[in-house]
Amino acid sequence: MIESILLVDDENLFHLVFEDACSLLEISLSLQTVSSSDEAAKMFKKWYETNSKDKPECVFVDLNIIGSSFDGIELIRKINFEYGNHVVIGIISSSNEPEEQSKAIQAGAQFWIIKSDDIEPRLEEFKKDYQGYKNRTLPFKIYR
Amino acid sequence: MITFNKNTKQQLISLCKTRNLCLEGNIIKVIDYSGDTEFEQYIQTCLEKDKDVRRKRLEITKQIQQKNTELEKLNLENERILEDLQVTLKEVGDAKISYEVQNRELIAWKEDNERISLELQQEMLKSEQARVEAENAKRTAENDLDVLQKRTQTKLIERIVKVSLGVIVTVGLITTLMYGIALFTEKDTQIIGSTWANMFGILLTNAFSIIGTIMGVKYASKETE
Repeated sequence: MIESILLVDDENLFHLVFEDACSLLEISLSLQTVSSSDEAAKMFKKWYETNSKDKPECVFVDLNIIGSSFDGIELIRKINFEYGNHVVIGIISSSNEPEEQSKAIQAGAQFWIIKSDDIEPRLEEFKKDYQGYKNRTLPFKIYR
Repeated sequence: MITFNKNTKQQLISLCKTRNLCLEGNIIKVIDYSGDTEFEQYIQTCLEKDKDVRRKRLEITKQIQQKNTELEKLNLENERILEDLQVTLKEVGDAKISYEVQNRELIAWKEDNERISLELQQEMLKSEQARVEAENAKRTAENDLDVLQKRTQTKLIERIVKVSLGVIVTVGLITTLMYGIALFTEKDTQIIGSTWANMFGILLTNAFSIIGTIMGVKYASKETE
């Protein structure tokens, strides 16, 4: 089970779906959700500056976050290259653009989960692979 | 893990049994129930209830998400239709302006045509009048020419008649004079007398012939006119 998860997504309804799916699949006990990449970046900056242990173990970031000054790929880049890394991080989006996926890889994303009405099977598969991401042994994977 | 004392456990179990109020959420998963069968059963009940609630909520949330997605698609479609409608309206407006311009040009063209047609009719009338005038002038000229020819002919005839009559009278007078001299000088008049008589007869005949011819020509000329 993942210790703690942070979901960065502008769609509040998806927060509920993700929370219930994670609880039912027993993926994580602790889930935190934010609606903007700016807010997430601030949180990571603070954790990085204070060397806090409150930071999540795994981060799911939406690709296009409406109302934010930068997108999910930029947030991943910031977390990986500016705020100390050490988290399993990837994209959760309805988009399946190869161009965006290659950008995400360059930014340091480890996975890409495609959002759909039936998210549970993908999360279940992700749960199985999680240890590989944590150990940095698993390559970038797309969950279709 | 969280550990409750026996009293708290009993209160929680009682609350669940009497008022159907159970613990909810992920906190249940961090409660220590080891060594207490009744409390373990209570925690399992709470977990089941929590799962049921989450499953139901997940289904409802998904349905709402689906509806939202459909609504978004419909909204996009509506916006697209609205844009198409606006484009069509603009095109119709442009076409209307274009038709109005064309209509104005056609009206102007029609007016020009009508004016040119009127001018043509007037010119045709003038041309017809000119033709009639030319024909009249031609007729007048022909008449004048005819009259001139007739006058010349008449003058020629008059001259011929005068000359002829002059010749006749002169020949008559000369012959008569010669016959008279022959009579008064008592010369032989046999030849001159018969000659005079013949001459006089011929002259009279010729004179009447000339007069007859002239009268005939005049009569013929009148009939031709």
